[in-house]
Amino acid sequence: MFRKEPSEIGKRVLKDSPILAALREHDREGIDGIIRLVEGCDEYNRRVALPRALELDQRMEREPEYFDWVIMREACRYRIFSLAIPESLGGMAGKYMVTGMALAVEELCSACGGIGLALAAHSLGVSPLVASGAMAHWETVLREIVEEEKKGNPVVMAYAITEPSAGTDVEEPEFLQVAKIGMEAKKVNGGYLLNGRKCFISGGSEAKYFTVTAATDRRRPLETWTTFLVEREMPGFSTPRVELKMGQRACHAAELNFEDVFVPQSHVLGFEGDGMANGILIIMAASRGPVGAIATGIARGAYQHFLSWTKTVRGGKRPIDQERIQMALADMQALIQESRGLYLAHSLCGDALFRRAFTHPLFKSAFLLPRKLRTSRAYSAFLNSYYGKSMVNAIFRRFIRDEDITDMLSKASLAKFTCADNSMELISRALELMGVNDSPERLWVEKCYRDAKLTQIYEGTNQLNRLVVYNVEIAGTLKIEVPRPFKRGVR
Amino acid sequence: MIRVPDLLESEEYRILRKDAAAYAEKALAPQAEQLDLNPENQDLRKIISQAGELGMLAALLPESLGGGGLDDYAFCLVLEEIATKEAGIATSLLVHNAALFPASLGESEIPASWLEPSSFPACLAYPCEIRENEGKLDGGAAFAFNAVDSRIITLLLQDQGEISVALVEREEKGVEVNADPYQMGLRAARAGSILLRGAKPLQVFPGANIKETVERILFLGLASIAVGITRNSLERSYAYAKERYQGGKIIIQHQQMRLFLAEMLTSIEQSRAAINRACATPELVPAASAWLLATSRAVQSATDGVQIHGGYGYMRDYGMERLMRDAKYCQMYPLTVQEVLLKILERMEAN
Ligand SMILES: Cc1cc2nc3c(=O)[nH]c(=O)nc-3n(C[C@H](O)[C@H](O)[C@H](O)COP(=O)(O)OP(=O)(O)OC[C@H]3O[C@@H](n4cnc5c(N)ncnc54)[C@H](O)[C@@H]3O)c2cc1C
Repeated sequence: MFRKEPSEIGKRVLKDSPILAALREHDREGIDGIIRLVEGCDEYNRRVALPRALELDQRMEREPEYFDWVIMREACRYRIFSLAIPESLGGMAGKYMVTGMALAVEELCSACGGIGLALAAHSLGVSPLVASGAMAHWETVLREIVEEEKKGNPVVMAYAITEPSAGTDVEEPEFLQVAKIGMEAKKVNGGYLLNGRKCFISGGSEAKYFTVTAATDRRRPLETWTTFLVEREMPGFSTPRVELKMGQRACHAAELNFEDVFVPQSHVLGFEGDGMANGILIIMAASRGPVGAIATGIARGAYQHFLSWTKTVRGGKRPIDQERIQMALADMQALIQESRGLYLAHSLCGDALFRRAFTHPLFKSAFLLPRKLRTSRAYSAFLNSYYGKSMVNAIFRRFIRDEDITDMLSKASLAKFTCADNSMELISRALELMGVNDSPERLWVEKCYRDAKLTQIYEGTNQLNRLVVYNVEIAGTLKIEVPRPFKRGVR
Repeated sequence: MIRVPDLLESEEYRILRKDAAAYAEKALAPQAEQLDLNPENQDLRKIISQAGELGMLAALLPESLGGGGLDDYAFCLVLEEIATKEAGIATSLLVHNAALFPASLGESEIPASWLEPSSFPACLAYPCEIRENEGKLDGGAAFAFNAVDSRIITLLLQDQGEISVALVEREEKGVEVNADPYQMGLRAARAGSILLRGAKPLQVFPGANIKETVERILFLGLASIAVGITRNSLERSYAYAKERYQGGKIIIQHQQMRLFLAEMLTSIEQSRAAINRACATPELVPAASAWLLATSRAVQSATDGVQIHGGYGYMRDYGMERLMRDAKYCQMYPLTVQEVLLKILERMEAN
């Protein structure tokens, strides 16, 4: 057989990420799968994102409520809403779920950080459903996302953990313990009543489904932290306002309001009380690498615009012909390559970990059952029962061990803050070298500057991420311990 | 509010500083957000007319010519106080004054109308590439603050090494101003590009050292505006850090937050010292050095200020992100950092 040559984009990806080129020697099919994702994102950028990024950013400063659904609808064609949904459900997440996600996100954000965030935040919203092994909802919610996507209808999800009085505090167990939590999920007959507010939720005003964390007892937030699946249609739920952001504007940051929102017992993801260890920390362990990729994408976008500016003639000279600019360009390459190397190392480790569970015969065999059975009430009642959840949990825990997740969390956090800082450094420098001028490139680089700042703030501020690295790597005080239901006996 | 070390200024400066602060608090602080978001809807001339009482409408012209007669230090301290509330207006005033200043070197008298608020804001086309040809001007400037609202434009021409100054009226035939498509910071000083095609100047006169003198004013002024931005960042961030509770304490008790704040404080101290030193000499290099230091400290302070505010810092309502955008623009004008560095060395070699 002849060796199939990778496409132009493929060649670029392999050149930019030597680690993937090396892996491709062992696993051509797997790596080519990632490349196909990036090719799709590249086409999306050229067709959809690049032509509207600047205009959308400027318009949403004046009209923060405005939302451009075209960016979502067009993304369906490239299956971007299925990036975190397992292949067995028709999704795109194969054995390189995290890496594929990260590279796709870098590509999208190289065109527009805001549009990239609007699409990436959806996958963040999906991930608690996947990671908690809440299989009862896979056949409904995840299936719906996949099916509708094929018809060109985006069904959007969002992840809501931040509260007005608790941002950093909900990202770390030690802090959650002492946090002033405003939201509460009170146990009632058949489920929970949710009251309170969440803020800054990306995609919050567009999402149909939400994965929401809340304490069932506000005085003991850590012990009672729980993840819920909330639907927009649930009475008492509303999204009263969106924020006026400095950057990444194409994606709304919304406030969510809960007034006696009844959430049935079946919509608890995982177990009551495991929302930190089995929820937020696992999600952050998987998603902070891709957030590093957001920062890297924005930096790369800025670099490309800066580079093309250096080739324009100013006052008879091209900046790129000057040594000082050449040195700066080399520095920028170094920052981008360091960032990409870090987030790729993290995501590849993450994939190695998740693959063990997702490719396990027991897990796969669940999808061999006839569809009719899988979507039946009885089956879903079983999966939602204590025993059903415990079984799935036991499989997951057997292959994804606590210490592996802890290690991954630390790697992810390190990649996140390094990529974010590198991105700000690169773009700040680019503006310093350009000065104010009348070039179109300046407008892009300035937008990247505003966009990039956010990457130092969300998914835990860079300070929090540094503390995580210290607590895991050096102090050894942060250890993820997911409760093991069977070992504890029946609750 | 946190104390910054006393400057031990003389009585005269002290009073001026107090008046400038009072003006900024009353006339600018309440409108700061709107001046950034919708500068086109603001009555800049009205807002600025009270600044005239501070001598800021023709600050650098001698009193004998009807100007404010402020010395460099006085000019700087007023800009700093104004920028503490709204850096865009401060920039507008700086550029206005830098544009009027060369006029005082001309032969003919300055028309009285130029000293009135209605002449505000004058625009300075620098850097620009403009040639004089048989009494007509051709060329342009890529980016000039105040261009959009200006009535008078001062151009620094460079012809075979000889610099001269030309004044043109905005309404003159052959003068075209295009508003900047999307100005990131200092938005009250609405910027644009200027294109001249055979425009007839109002006045042209030689001025051997004028370019350097104007540059020095810009460096000093922008450095002072940068200090104002850093003070604003410190005040807001300090107040916020004492209110926000996170990680079991108010966040000002987290050491990293304290380090950020302390760096802002030392930035103010260092930058003021550099500006003070630069005001005491007519040389260009100290002013350029003050600009390099103060603007880079302001960029860092504003960025850290956003970080202290967490997600709230990223949102317009908290007024922090505006400082980040403004600070960056102080560092991007009039020249780029590296250009200034190279210029400094060249300057000292030449002597
Ligand atoms: C545009 C945007 C989109 C977002 N999208 C989402 C989303 O989709 N879903 C979601 O759940 N959240 C989202 N967030 C929230 C984001 O994760 C939080 O803003 C972030 O975790 C910081 O929390 P905070 O804003 O409350 O800052 P705070 O926690 O109040 O932090 C303020 C400052 O104090 C510091 N600090 C706090 N605690 C400590 C400590 N213990 N030690 C040292 N320093 C400390 C911080 O580093 C920071 O500098 C978004 C935020 C923004 C701005």
